[in-house]
Amino acid sequence: MQLLNRALALIVTAAIVTGIAWASRLPMAAHGSSDAVLRLAWSARPERIEECRAPSAEELASRPKHMQQKLICDGTAARYRLEVRHDGRLVADHEVRGGGLRHDRRLYVFHELRVPPGNAHVDVRFTRIDSPTSKSASHQRGEVVPARLALDEQLTFRPREVVLVTYDADDRELEIEDGER
Amino acid sequence: MTAVMSEDGPLRNDVDGSGATDLMPIAPVRWTERASRRVLAGVDAFCNRLYSARFNPVYQSGTIVVALYLVLVVTGLWLILFYRVGAPWESVARLTANVWIGNWVRGLHRYATDLAVVATAVHAFRMFAQERTWGARALAWVSGAVLLLLLFVCAWTGYVMVWDTFGQQLAQAGARMFDTLPVLSEPTSRAFTGEQPVPTVFFFLNLFAHIGVPLTMGVVFWLHVKRLHRPLLLPPRPLLWSTVGALFAVAIAWPLEMAPKANPFVLPEHVPTDWFVAFWMPLARSVGGGTGLLIAVAVGLGLVAVPIVTRRRGTAAPPPSVVDEDVCTGCTQCAVDCPYGAITMIERVSKRSDLVAHVDPSLCVSCGICSGSCAPMGVGPAGRTGRDQLAVAREFLASPRRVRGEVVVVACQHGGGAFAGNIAAQGGVPYPVSCSGNLHTSVIELLLRGGCGGVLVLACPPRDCWNREGPVWLVERVYHDREAELQARVDRARVRIANVGPGERRRAIEAVAAFVKDIAALEPPIAERLPEIDTECEPVPIDAG
Repeated sequence: MQLLNRALALIVTAAIVTGIAWASRLPMAAHGSSDAVLRLAWSARPERIEECRAPSAEELASRPKHMQQKLICDGTAARYRLEVRHDGRLVADHEVRGGGLRHDRRLYVFHELRVPPGNAHVDVRFTRIDSPTSKSASHQRGEVVPARLALDEQLTFRPREVVLVTYDADDRELEIEDGER
Repeated sequence: MTAVMSEDGPLRNDVDGSGATDLMPIAPVRWTERASRRVLAGVDAFCNRLYSARFNPVYQSGTIVVALYLVLVVTGLWLILFYRVGAPWESVARLTANVWIGNWVRGLHRYATDLAVVATAVHAFRMFAQERTWGARALAWVSGAVLLLLLFVCAWTGYVMVWDTFGQQLAQAGARMFDTLPVLSEPTSRAFTGEQPVPTVFFFLNLFAHIGVPLTMGVVFWLHVKRLHRPLLLPPRPLLWSTVGALFAVAIAWPLEMAPKANPFVLPEHVPTDWFVAFWMPLARSVGGGTGLLIAVAVGLGLVAVPIVTRRRGTAAPPPSVVDEDVCTGCTQCAVDCPYGAITMIERVSKRSDLVAHVDPSLCVSCGICSGSCAPMGVGPAGRTGRDQLAVAREFLASPRRVRGEVVVVACQHGGGAFAGNIAAQGGVPYPVSCSGNLHTSVIELLLRGGCGGVLVLACPPRDCWNREGPVWLVERVYHDREAELQARVDRARVRIANVGPGERRRAIEAVAAFVKDIAALEPPIAERLPEIDTECEPVPIDAG
């Protein structure tokens, strides 16, 4: 009886550790369909929309010396619209704002759109919604994204391939990457 | 909770094995605890049969986790020598390809992680089923939940380090969840889109976390066992080396293979996944980062809230031990025996003794072990001190149903007490107690001198004791002269201790049948009419000095 129990203990132990090793490498179905993905990902500095005014002499006098600015500007970052068409069909339409609680940080675009494999006409447009007024000042820290970006191309999507549309800050235009191009 | 010392008398308490008593909390929790206990009893009995109670891995689940933690530290230190943050996948691939320096060690590291997750889950389940989650044990439960979280975080960083397709999936899933928090203005997911190579600083930070989290676990583990007296940290050596050996054997027999390198421009159809640490991935992928994070937070809060929902309230809460200072001799035995360090000795102002026991109610779990350790019977939870136990035993002996020479089977209600019917069928008289460890040896003497033929104590297996050290102290008191010992005048042939778990009906039946047979072969006992038990110290008012 004891021998039987020991044999059984050995078998159970072997089964447990084998089960652990098996479950430790069991494949997970990550992407079941053969769809490709059109990934739109970029980061850029948005245009700053500001209203500036010159303070009156009394207002300036009421402030400490170190706060006596000749031009007081209040403003926010511009909003942008992202539109994506796949073979002429609108598949994404989003308003994009700058990051942070006050939306005054860099804007970030990240969308993934599933598309069937094969050739397709892709049209991406990124357009500024808000326009700077005549009273705006141009205190831009660094290069801002252009008011209008567009990418209009015929693409070939291979099964389970990711095609990345991103913004090239040097050339100031949208470009395509797929790991090989 | 206790049978012997309760007002209802010894035979009118719960001994059906469910452990359900009037101390249970709200109904769904009560039902879950009872169901968990049934499952645990079955698993324990099966493992006892296979491995024996001493090497039962389910009893030792907590110590096995500690042993695996040490295995992970040692193997991790070795593996880290070959890891390069600038070329993560390539360095791990080189390591994996080299059987002698890397593959086996990496396999052991990986399987030890998986078994640690399983053992942690078993340990938590055990504590929940045995109602060891609330009151003074809440700290251990909450710190255990934190340790489990840290274990998952550590495993997450470990797999991301490899930067294969699985690591990439984990990183993306984690980033999606993290990005829902308003912490960073730029989402971390951006690092994995393929716009740029994943920065080396990411792998450096990940490596830093993979080393730092286990160090943090060490601190949390200290909190985890802080309220335990004499915590057992490692399993018995044969079990320890068998566990490590079995994992090492499977690492050799089934070598690890590298998954393809992470590539942001390819969507893999299948990803080799470690389901022990990534079982949540399919759900997280289907519900999205925000909902996934909410679910994770809800599960975490649910775990942390267990001590609140399982807590016994008001009159249902078992009272902490109290010290009768008029009786306490300052011998320190209760402070030594207390498994939770709830009793300390403080200076006494009177002349009776230099020291007197002091119970910290916030640490006391009302296990009653001190009742059994106090020779003069001056400490214990209200209604369960040695003197209270003697009163109940006298009532038991005075019952007209008592027959001279019958065998009394003292059974822990968490273990052998579940088999009252079987005990009676074998010719024993069931005498349930809340824990064999708080049984005062004078009760055994009283029962024998009162005419019982023999006393069999069905104690839980030592590692299965709800109060940690009850069966160990009982054996010491009966056979090894530990303080509050069974007096030498008591015939040891009429006393026996057997270890029986709540799922071991057959073992209980066999133990009772064997003892009844052995007692029948002895001379009939001579009962004293009104046996007086020496309680050593009668109460002496402190004022009297």
